[in-house]
Amino acid sequence: MATIERSEVLATVCRQLAEILEISATEISETQSLADDLGADSIALIELVDSLEQEFSDIIPDFQFQDDDLSGLRTVADAVNYIVLALGK
Amino acid sequence: MVQRPRGNRRRLTDQLPHMLPIAVDAMGGDNAPSAILAGALEAAALGIPILLVGPDGLEGTGDLPLLVASEVIEMDDDPAQSVRRKRDSTLVRAAEAVRDGKASAMISAGNTGATMASALLRMGRISGVSRPAIATPVPVPGGHPTVLLDAGANAEVQPEWLVQFALMGSVYSQRRFGVENPRVGLLSIGEEPGKGDTLRKETYELLKVAPGINFIGNVEGRDLMTGVVDVVVTDGFTGNVVLKTLEGSLRTVVKSLFAAFGQPEYADAANALMPALLPLYETLDPDSYGGAILLGVDGVCIISHGSSSARAMVNGIKCAQEMVESGMVEAIRVAISTTVAE
Repeated sequence: MATIERSEVLATVCRQLAEILEISATEISETQSLADDLGADSIALIELVDSLEQEFSDIIPDFQFQDDDLSGLRTVADAVNYIVLALGK
Repeated sequence: MVQRPRGNRRRLTDQLPHMLPIAVDAMGGDNAPSAILAGALEAAALGIPILLVGPDGLEGTGDLPLLVASEVIEMDDDPAQSVRRKRDSTLVRAAEAVRDGKASAMISAGNTGATMASALLRMGRISGVSRPAIATPVPVPGGHPTVLLDAGANAEVQPEWLVQFALMGSVYSQRRFGVENPRVGLLSIGEEPGKGDTLRKETYELLKVAPGINFIGNVEGRDLMTGVVDVVVTDGFTGNVVLKTLEGSLRTVVKSLFAAFGQPEYADAANALMPALLPLYETLDPDSYGGAILLGVDGVCIISHGSSSARAMVNGIKCAQEMVESGMVEAIRVAISTTVAE
């Protein structure tokens, strides 16, 4: 499996979020809450999860966010950490 | 290369030689694939380019090209989950065909939620659209249909979304039914301003001042089929209840009428009335319209009824073609961007 730096994962998550929420990626930091700070609702979260699965599926075989884990994705960092953990396996 | 149907047929595509095919989900719906294929073949015979989406080896496709998809999202599958889990499903591949410029539109009689999710996650939202909405034509005897939205995509909504629904519904009414300045009504429990719950009251105030919307005020359920309004805006929960109530009521009335006319003592009267009643039946028959449309995604997406017949599919495909030809998606993009800019 290819190695990706955490910073690259963060950049990808921010880029996808920015596109979905139609804001600038520079407005997003990893400590921000997806719902409370960035206004991402359930539809936006599904769009984010789907886009990240597609983005990383070439690097992480069969990569998917497990449905039971979705409620734990509260911040940008949660999404980044999830992917980094999957990369490390 | 997309293959064209052979034979001596009216060539609608001679007018638009470069139109991409309509992606037809061959496996969606209670009567799939037979009714879907029959409808697709009939539409192709009219000169509409078709791209079937279905499993390898699907029989009965005639000369139509087939985009192979190995999975099918079932009617009871969770919509968002199934789009993510069944990436090679007919619905997902149909939406990707539109996204990737291989098809100009998609149509499915399958899982409504999954059709929406496929369109949302693969085609994406038009920039500035908060939420796509399902718009469905409600028949008006003697007139053009009323557009009702949202008919089920968003159970709960915000006032600003309803304003966008009004804009998108107006564009659809213009492009589909040729209505020049569609009259928009907010569905409520009374015509007087101030009637309704908090959502309706807040939305009313926004619609009153919204540019580009010919807002005529509140309307009631009984106004939907009268021709006094062209676009009726509501939340998806209410819209779906209204739609199903209308469908069930019309079906019961029509069935009862035909049962009454079937009695031997009314045979002569029935024969005399049929020339008047049959066109009315066609106006009221949902199959005449081919289904609903998902407005707000970056592509034409027709959502046909799960029990769609071949006739319904033909009319749905024709609707898809008309909306592509009319530039409806681009018109919505412009309308939404204008309000965002303001």
